[in-house]
Amino acid sequence: MFVIVADDSRVMRQIVIRTLRQAGYDWEILEATDGQEVYDLTLDNNPDLVLSDWNMPNATGLEALIALRQAGCQVPFGFVTSEGSPEMREQAANAGALFLIAKPFSAESFKAAIDPVLA
Amino acid sequence: MTSGNTTLDGAGAEAGVTVDKEQILSIVQEVLSAMLDAGEVLVFESDPHGESDNDLYAWVDMHMVLPMGDLSARAVVRTEAATANVITQSLLMMDPSEEVSTEDLADAFGEIANVVGGNVKSLIDVPASLSLPSVSAVGSDALSGTFLQDIDLNWRGMPLNVSLWILTDATEWS
Repeated sequence: MFVIVADDSRVMRQIVIRTLRQAGYDWEILEATDGQEVYDLTLDNNPDLVLSDWNMPNATGLEALIALRQAGCQVPFGFVTSEGSPEMREQAANAGALFLIAKPFSAESFKAAIDPVLA
Repeated sequence: MTSGNTTLDGAGAEAGVTVDKEQILSIVQEVLSAMLDAGEVLVFESDPHGESDNDLYAWVDMHMVLPMGDLSARAVVRTEAATANVITQSLLMMDPSEEVSTEDLADAFGEIANVVGGNVKSLIDVPASLSLPSVSAVGSDALSGTFLQDIDLNWRGMPLNVSLWILTDATEWS
């Protein structure tokens, strides 16, 4: 598996990557730091999954997802974000996201969200 | 204003936008437990502790769209620089003897405010957006607007404070 992990916080990217390993996912990781990078790196590298923060500079994660779908890219996409309101979950689902993991998260919440996508 | 249930004054209250003190405590306990303390709850309400010259402030703003207009609120996390240092080392799983860079400290402490603020925002049942986190050693940068509520906390024996503010002049909503 080859996964893009996107967050403008380097600390949070490290925590997400560490939590993926704790959840048993020994994947190759490429890091993105904003929404524009999510868009560019996804189209350039064709990952198996994108795990993206929502609120980032230079395009949000949601804007990146919408742009990817408009470009015809159907990459499996999930959010890892500090906000998990019903409104945001609905926006994420409508844009084509498979799940939204709210921070703070655990290895268990990662597995609960990601395992069904891999099945 | 420092105890009991608090509403986002004026229009916020009329629109049903409320966040009580116990909810803030619950959010902070969940965030620190998951991010810093391996699932253990090590933060509790404490006696009030005032600001000090060594404090750092991290905050995010919430912009809410209410029927009567927009309203902006701020969630601020305040602690001493030494505590922010420990938070950073814990988040990055660093050895306590390792030196923390200014960049990592601002990033890590800002993320704590970001996750706390994001969870506060999720309690508010109105359309809202969240800013990126900011960090400063200058209290007046962070603590602006109309004070709503704060809670003093003790995390691993170190003082921590979380406060909520209204940035828009609340009187126009009353």
